[in-house]
Amino acid sequence: MGEQVLFAVAAIGTLGFGVGVVFFKDAFRAAVSLIGTLLSVALLFIALLAPFAAAIQVIVYAGAIVVMFLFVIAYLGDRGVLPGPDRLDRWQVIGWLGLIGLGFFGAVAILDSTAGPARPAPSTTDVGSPASLGDAFLSSHLLAFEATSLVLLVAAVGAVILAKGAVQGEGGR
Amino acid sequence: MNVPIGAYLALSLALLVLGLIGVMRRRNPLMLLLSVELMLNAGNVALIGFSREWNDPSGQVFALVVMVVAAAEVVIGLGLVVAIFRNRSNLDVDELSSMRG
Repeated sequence: MGEQVLFAVAAIGTLGFGVGVVFFKDAFRAAVSLIGTLLSVALLFIALLAPFAAAIQVIVYAGAIVVMFLFVIAYLGDRGVLPGPDRLDRWQVIGWLGLIGLGFFGAVAILDSTAGPARPAPSTTDVGSPASLGDAFLSSHLLAFEATSLVLLVAAVGAVILAKGAVQGEGGR
Repeated sequence: MNVPIGAYLALSLALLVLGLIGVMRRRNPLMLLLSVELMLNAGNVALIGFSREWNDPSGQVFALVVMVVAAAEVVIGLGLVVAIFRNRSNLDVDELSSMRG
């Protein structure tokens, strides 16, 4: 019962704030709406007994990433789009075809997951605990763990180089 | 009575489609990145749902790796947006045609 209530609240929050992200005209409002979506997704993770992932979701996503978005929105200010129609309009049909295909195959996958013999409900375990995740990261997923550190290093160096170019463009060193 | 995995997958699909619509109809590069974040979160919901269904931490490991990749992607994406659009009056990806062949 508890999981159903939590799922309902989180699903409504996720989709409601998600519609806000996609349809708000103002970039600032869209970014704040994204915070609502991310917190609702964190609630979903709690419903799925993944407290560590929920904590990381709040700290990294809602904390760090959205703040970075807000900084850039505040820095670039409110600028409009070019007048005239979308120059990529002719590609829209491919996008819509992809959307329809995604919906179709997704619906097939969901129906397939509910069909077949009913399996017993998963028991309550500590799969989502930090100890279990750390064990998985450092044993069977060690390569992903190391690749993660490389990805973060490359991103940090890339950000510094991009920012250096921007500072030099404004006459600084 | 638990919520079936299909419900989580349906929510994940709805969120992914929402993000895709956002990527298709937005022209502001910041909004494109926000919509991509929606799509990445949809993937994470499905991954952690599978992790719960099969009692296997691998799904959560994948989801955490996706979060790291998302953070790196946002850093580089926002750095590019600032570097490119700092001196332009419009914030529109249609403006970026200088590499047209």
